[in-house]
Amino acid sequence: MSEIVLETSGLTKYFKDKCVVDHLDLKIPKGCVCGFLGRNGAGKTTTIRMLMGLLKPTTGNCSLLGCDCQDLTPAIRQRVGYVTEGHRLYKWMKIGELEKFQRAFFPNQWDEKLFNDMIEYFELSKTQKIKHLSNGQRAQVSLALTLAPNPELLIMDDPTLGLDVAIRREFLEGVIHLITRQGRTILFSSHILADVERVADRIVVIGKGILKADCTLEKFRSTIRKYIITFDTNIPTEINIEGLLHCRSDGNLLEVTVVNTSENAIQDWANAGGAKDCKKAALNLEDQFIEFTSPVKKGKLFDWEYK
Amino acid sequence: MALWIQISSGSPEPIYSQIVEQIRQAIAKGELGIGEKLPAVRKLASELIINPNTVAKAYTILEQTGFVITKTGSGTFITDPKLRHHDAIDMNALAERIDSVIARGLSLGISGEEMISLFNNRLNAFVKNNDGDKK
Repeated sequence: MSEIVLETSGLTKYFKDKCVVDHLDLKIPKGCVCGFLGRNGAGKTTTIRMLMGLLKPTTGNCSLLGCDCQDLTPAIRQRVGYVTEGHRLYKWMKIGELEKFQRAFFPNQWDEKLFNDMIEYFELSKTQKIKHLSNGQRAQVSLALTLAPNPELLIMDDPTLGLDVAIRREFLEGVIHLITRQGRTILFSSHILADVERVADRIVVIGKGILKADCTLEKFRSTIRKYIITFDTNIPTEINIEGLLHCRSDGNLLEVTVVNTSENAIQDWANAGGAKDCKKAALNLEDQFIEFTSPVKKGKLFDWEYK
Repeated sequence: MALWIQISSGSPEPIYSQIVEQIRQAIAKGELGIGEKLPAVRKLASELIINPNTVAKAYTILEQTGFVITKTGSGTFITDPKLRHHDAIDMNALAERIDSVIARGLSLGISGEEMISLFNNRLNAFVKNNDGDKK
């Protein structure tokens, strides 16, 4: 078992009487790149803010590199990189001034070459003022400032939000560069599942503050499956398949999405109901995430009548 | 090297299996010959902008199925085809691909005989081309 660098135990946060994070238990081992997923309002930012010691948990606790997040020492903070949602930087400063400012917090570990290389690669200049930069450029500066101290643990809150596809790809390149140096651990939240698929090897999914999944990306990919079952006659009235997430029917076709159900179990159920065909449908990570996190809704938003 | 691999994120096919599939195809087409070295895991990961563990996983699968061999300290190399093996899952996957070709053919009104003769022609041309490359 490798060393745990990020841990939460029973982590809970209430805003007034609304529970935003509900008894979250997480253990992220060293070297892991973890995509932190959940729909809007699932509690991701609140969790990250508690991890960074910016918010006090209502109950439970969390720790980074073995140090309780309520009492993060400067020595521990120096080993953790944090990218905030929206890349908030001091707007009146020039890139070079911001570098000096940030560097003062990491006196013995600032990788000047890495910072300069990144600024050059992103086609920025140190004399540019932050307030004159685009969202994408601010994200790039923010990544360079965060990676230059060589953090052991990197926590990023939706770092690619609002960035165009090309800048997002460059941002991912920066992150991959960090990963390929050994022993770096990353937790990042994102809504762009294609990015998560490229970068993460593990995913944590929360919904309404509750932990829904914590597994390798590969496990998640192989656990959520959709089948299309064709019946000769009527579809069975009761769809009692273990692990059923969603089902939809059309004539003698039944579409079921299941989690953690073996292929044999589905086949057996289909055969018992007199199905003549049962085949697996292709799902990408985004489809899987939607199936996994969306509640079953009655009715439809748009109910067109075709004439 | 390595630039022939094209990763598509957001595809139903996991990234590691896209890599496995494309390397297998490159081997089948003779683009990667016996004894040729695959790029280092970290290098390929940075080029493709993906997690190195994903590349490592693809290499492991290629090694388990005998397509490559890893020599500690020196890298991962393409093996001799005689050492490779396939299992029922591989045969199934192949059968599914053939099924989709058959469906396409029938939907275009191409007869079974025509398809078989087309298959044989293509197979012969493919084998001939690859032998040509090796010489």
